[in-house]
Amino acid sequence: MRPNTPEVVRRANALALIAALLCAALVVACLCLPLYSFSATVFAKKSGNTFVGDEKYKEVRAEVEAEARARADAAGTLPEIVENVTERTNSKGEKTSMVAFEVRQVMRRSGWQFIASGLPGGKLLLAALIALVLALILLGAGLAGAFETDWPALPGGKRRPRQIAAALGLIALILVPVFMMSCNLSFSRHIKLAADGFPKPGTDALLHKLDAFLYGGTAGENTLNLMGGVNYRPTWALYGMLAALAGFTFCGVLLADGHPGATMARALLYAFIIALCALILYPYYVMVITGFRSNAETTDMYFQHLLPTKWVWSNLSDIINRGVPRYLLNSLLLSVGATAIALLCGIPAAYAMARMNFAGKKAFLGFVIMSQMFSPVVLLVGISRLMNSLGLNDTVWGLMFINAAFNQAFAIWLLRGTFVSISSEMEQAACIDGCSTVSAMLRVLLPMAAPGIVTTLIFVFINAWNEYTISTVLISTAANKPITVGITQFSSFNMIEWQYLFAAALVATIPVVILFMCIEKHLAAGLTAGGVKG
Amino acid sequence: MNTIPIRHKWEPYLWLLPSLALMCVFVVFPIGIVFKLSVSEISKSGVVHGFIGLENFRAAFRDPAFGTVMLNTAVWVVSVVGLSTLLGFITAMALNAEFFGRKVARSIVVFPWATSLVIQASVWNYIIKGEYGNLNNVLLNLGVIKNAVNWRASYQIEFAWECGVGIFVTIPFVAFTVLAGLQSIDDAYYEAATVDGAGFWRKLWNVTIPLVKPSLTVCTVLNIIYVFNSFPIIYTITKGAPANKTDTMVTLLYMRAFYDNQKGPATAMSVIGFGILCVCAGAYMMITMRKEEG
Repeated sequence: MRPNTPEVVRRANALALIAALLCAALVVACLCLPLYSFSATVFAKKSGNTFVGDEKYKEVRAEVEAEARARADAAGTLPEIVENVTERTNSKGEKTSMVAFEVRQVMRRSGWQFIASGLPGGKLLLAALIALVLALILLGAGLAGAFETDWPALPGGKRRPRQIAAALGLIALILVPVFMMSCNLSFSRHIKLAADGFPKPGTDALLHKLDAFLYGGTAGENTLNLMGGVNYRPTWALYGMLAALAGFTFCGVLLADGHPGATMARALLYAFIIALCALILYPYYVMVITGFRSNAETTDMYFQHLLPTKWVWSNLSDIINRGVPRYLLNSLLLSVGATAIALLCGIPAAYAMARMNFAGKKAFLGFVIMSQMFSPVVLLVGISRLMNSLGLNDTVWGLMFINAAFNQAFAIWLLRGTFVSISSEMEQAACIDGCSTVSAMLRVLLPMAAPGIVTTLIFVFINAWNEYTISTVLISTAANKPITVGITQFSSFNMIEWQYLFAAALVATIPVVILFMCIEKHLAAGLTAGGVKG
Repeated sequence: MNTIPIRHKWEPYLWLLPSLALMCVFVVFPIGIVFKLSVSEISKSGVVHGFIGLENFRAAFRDPAFGTVMLNTAVWVVSVVGLSTLLGFITAMALNAEFFGRKVARSIVVFPWATSLVIQASVWNYIIKGEYGNLNNVLLNLGVIKNAVNWRASYQIEFAWECGVGIFVTIPFVAFTVLAGLQSIDDAYYEAATVDGAGFWRKLWNVTIPLVKPSLTVCTVLNIIYVFNSFPIIYTITKGAPANKTDTMVTLLYMRAFYDNQKGPATAMSVIGFGILCVCAGAYMMITMRKEEG
């Protein structure tokens, strides 16, 4: 990379700095503008047995107008009055009429008003503002005296503050959506829960603040009812603030690096990884928290917590009494058996495929691939008939053989990949020394191939452990069910016991996930070694 | 060659024998039974009555759900295999870069692969359940949404969720196969490309993709087979309801065989499914092979 002349650096820095300052000014300007607009019924009055234009109507109308006038804002604008007339003919054939008046007020609240309100959202906005101010100070400190220094030559004392400024900009940027989420919580979630009779702790204090924030303290006890009818939406100023903060962050990166491409790519990488991991872990989080909740909580649409209110450990003892240990034992038996059979048959075959040349080698490989085509599901009818005639129906033994057979392809594939990657010189030497092929394999090759064999072993074990479809067809006796089938008893058609289902699922999953994490490093390598060289 | 001398002509076959025997009994034999049953008349009680030609196939094609289910199967296989390959590839690229916490991230990404499909599907079934489902709970309590959302408003949406779960559980397999391919690429290629002034996209297009193509091909062929045959996700989340509108071929044939006691048409569907798989996987392999040669 060619170094930049001081002139180029100065111009680039000046541009970036001006843009950053403009963005910061824009953020402050947006804070002065309304960030949310609320449309709320501030006063409602229903008047029964009232016809439009009669005495009673005029009386009520005057009352409503007085209320509206009382709620006029400083500029003297009156809130809007909406009237709804319902006319009916009752059973006696008389006409009745009811008039419902609503005084609807559109209220707009600026960022400063949010900050002054003491609402959680206001605190977040304040935090964003502080981050922005700090970032500006740091930018100043980072630029002072090094305005024309080319970026690669920047000393740490000048680069670091600029980087922190960009990071603070990013934090402020992230705080804006968090602010919006917090507003949803304050204006909607808390209110709805309280209105349905499930107040969260602190709802009273929140209502008090909302009263002061929206009604200037006039609503009092009535705040909850009033808030129930409030519609709110963010204004364009809020989105403008979001864009301005994004721009500020970008300028910060520009000032720190000169070439934002690499930094942005890095940020994108981290964002992707974090999002991916969050998504992947989410179902496991659900399993954990649901497995330890009480039955009532699992189906509670008002459930207010992200974690169980009380960790119900008795779910574990309950599933023990419902046969889960037996299912786990069956699964273990079936997986160990299937793994043993698959390896006992697979190692010799993989050895022959890796070390010997013979006619029909390709045909055997094709046969192995073909066997992958037929999943057990498609062959279920055939398998269950075969098991019937072998007398293995409804037994763990039958499952063992089926799992071993359907994992042959993978076992041979993985093992062959491992064997091929190991040089055969040692075995050749052993053969010349008079060793038989069998003992050459056993004594020379297998110890060297141990990591690959362990990988295969765990892989087959996990496949057998997680198998569901064949077991559900072949096994009907409860005592012979493996865990994958056993847990479905908790999700019967008319009643799903989510807490037991997930407690058992957790017990079935954790050991396997740990095993899989152990072989993660070798597995992928084995897969391609077997496949690509095939 | 990395081989050892063979003492007898038949020695290799002896080594293959246990594996061959196991697969013949438990894979080939059921295949034979299924093919035989597909052209046999089967009574309601399951007794085989003899050859009836293509009657079972005709019954399978006449099945009221057959058209919908074929379409669903196509959507299911194409969307799950296509999107999981794309996302898995991106994941592999990300996991191959050096960053803080890479080991942890790699360990986390294997989770869905290591978990039984029936458990995964049960969890997602709970997540998107009506008003009390966990997704609503989490989003409401975080303030992301204002009101509870009905995440399964129609069967099309439910089927889309099923495809989503399918993609979710397939990504790790693709990611790790591609990752292995990426790791085996010699850095010299990238250095040469950098010297030639190639940017990220050109390196991706001209170096990375051609070199991981073999692993990608293998993994796509396997994925087509696995996804086509995937059963627990749909069976757990919707069971094909309403009226087979969310069934794929495999779940339909399971229902027909074991709930509706129509073993004949069900075996015919097995054979049809096998035919489709052979054609798809074969065609895919041929196309990629030819491209590589050309």
